[in-house]
Amino acid sequence: MLKITDLHVSVDGKPILKGLNLEVQTGEVHAIMGPNGSGKSTLAHVLAGREGYEVTRGSVIYQNQDLLELAIEQRAQEGLFLAMQYPVELPGVNNLTFLREAYNSLRRSRNEKDLDAVTFMKLVRELARQLELPDALLKRDVNSGFSGGEKKRNEILQLALLAPQLAILDETDSGLDIDALRIVASGVNALRSPERAMIVVTHYQRLLNYIEPDVVHVMIDGHIVRSGNKSLALELEDRGYGWISEEAVA
Amino acid sequence: MNSQLERQVWFEETVALNDKAIIDSGFPWLEAMRTEAKESIRQLPIPNRKQEAWRYSRPEKLYEHAYFTPINPVTALDEDDIVSWVYPESESYHLVFANGFFVPGLSTLNLDKGKLHIGSLREALVTDPAAIANWFAQSQWHKSDIFTALNFALMNDGLYIYLPQDTRLDKPIEVAYLSFNLEQPVSAQLRSLLVLDAGAQASLIEHFISTGNSDYFASHVGELFLGQNAVLNHYRLQNESHQAHHLSRVSVRQHTASEYRSVNIAVGGAWSRADIQVRFTGPQATCDIEGVYTAGDEQYSDFHLDIQHDQPACRSRENFRGIIYGKGQAVFDGRILVAKDAQKTDALLTNKNLLLSEDAEVDTKPQLEIYADDVKCGHGTTVGRLDPDQIYYLRSRGITESVAQRMLSLGFAEQILEHTEDEQLHAAMARLISSQFAK
Repeated sequence: MLKITDLHVSVDGKPILKGLNLEVQTGEVHAIMGPNGSGKSTLAHVLAGREGYEVTRGSVIYQNQDLLELAIEQRAQEGLFLAMQYPVELPGVNNLTFLREAYNSLRRSRNEKDLDAVTFMKLVRELARQLELPDALLKRDVNSGFSGGEKKRNEILQLALLAPQLAILDETDSGLDIDALRIVASGVNALRSPERAMIVVTHYQRLLNYIEPDVVHVMIDGHIVRSGNKSLALELEDRGYGWISEEAVA
Repeated sequence: MNSQLERQVWFEETVALNDKAIIDSGFPWLEAMRTEAKESIRQLPIPNRKQEAWRYSRPEKLYEHAYFTPINPVTALDEDDIVSWVYPESESYHLVFANGFFVPGLSTLNLDKGKLHIGSLREALVTDPAAIANWFAQSQWHKSDIFTALNFALMNDGLYIYLPQDTRLDKPIEVAYLSFNLEQPVSAQLRSLLVLDAGAQASLIEHFISTGNSDYFASHVGELFLGQNAVLNHYRLQNESHQAHHLSRVSVRQHTASEYRSVNIAVGGAWSRADIQVRFTGPQATCDIEGVYTAGDEQYSDFHLDIQHDQPACRSRENFRGIIYGKGQAVFDGRILVAKDAQKTDALLTNKNLLLSEDAEVDTKPQLEIYADDVKCGHGTTVGRLDPDQIYYLRSRGITESVAQRMLSLGFAEQILEHTEDEQLHAAMARLISSQFAK
């Protein structure tokens, strides 16, 4: 589904990703772990298409297409979704209006008609209920005045609503207390499916207790330096990142 | 660019050309004031760059045409020409003015019950001359402003609302001022006079609209008097033809503890300007004036606010937002003056502008003059562009860039509109703004 080959990315002339390789198959859940500043979030944003990231070398093939050639919204329309680490607030933009516009944008890109308002409301209310997201938040402006946990749940609501083929979760666990983490993780787990792949970017192993990955990658200084199964995450929890850095240098 | 002399000639010719179309009111006091206004036109300074109030733009194109006051009221109009009512007839009082005249056939109300009056100023001159003589042109604006003097010289009719003490209308009043060209470019000069006696309350929605897309000259001078504890909710929706010249003057006089709340939407006109002037005549009055303006290609939009605190313990709020796109140009000028004796004044002025293109331009100028020492006053103005992170967020959800820009721009305006709780009115104002952006 996704094949990243020798990816080099600079931000403001400074190299951040330095020859990254990653392959994700449909149905798999990959975790990318690594210390702060290793390039995890950069990878997530490069895949989503954020401006200001310069790809200097390498390729990203997503569902047999050159992902890097696609505009931001085209990537979303092709089934890629990034749950953001810091979802922005959109004052004056009603959350329901936003969710509906996003949902119908994807339908229109598939030449489908907009979903009628009543059916859409039923759908979004049911998803919000599963994520224990209060109805009142749907009526507020997007993320405006939401708590950290509410913002993350609103991201997972969008994930559930837009039902992407490839979901990237960028530090979705940061800022969540244990109850919120449980709710978010069960929302994500409900979306695991043989037709869908996920990349879970996280600093801590904690999230992986709830969302069990098939493959764990360790990213340091813009490369993936080690890959393994979920026991690698536990080892990192015990020993930190230092030993891998040393091995990688050695 | 026309010369000072050409502009002078334009004013005098406009008066001379239209003199025959002006109907004698039959009231010597009014005609004497009209003569005085005509005299002012010969003496008052023509707007020029050296005057602070006209620093950024003068209506140059206005002077290139002769505009004619229609002699007879328009008859060939029907309901379909007024598409902008917020409420159906059953939920509000509808009054229609077309090219400077009241149109009784399209108005669902011309109330004249005892002292209460809602209807045409011309008709009220006959039924209630004493009240009108008492209030009319009390703002004296025609003595200092040449356009107000011109309006006085050329006006034939207008809106008159008088609510006696403690009157509370059961429904809002909606007024449509319709302008459109006939064989020649039309000059539509209207007045409105609204008097709320102590404790009276009303909602007034004014629509400035056109049936066509032509260059007419619509000028409107409103005088609003709020008695003690009176409350007026005033909505002004300016959606003139994008070719037109629109000029509004609103003078508000507020007595003790009265409340004036207004929302001003301005999206139309090739050249549009609204001056809103508030004077407090008693303590503890409050005014809350908000607005959203948009200006696109070939459009100039201007708001001038002038709030003068001469009385203690009054509160004023001005909060305007502008969306400027294409080659649009906008000006916002907000002045608050707090006189020496106006202690405990609470005044705040905010103006935020969103520029959607490289060529869009805005000049925003807050002015605070404070002569009292125990006051709470502030102002803040910003000029910005859409936040790339917000655009990215929306696009990452599959929303196209142009739709994302539109959603965020409307969201910017919504932060003013959301203060209007009435859903129909809120939706009508949002529609007006969203209609300005190509989908």
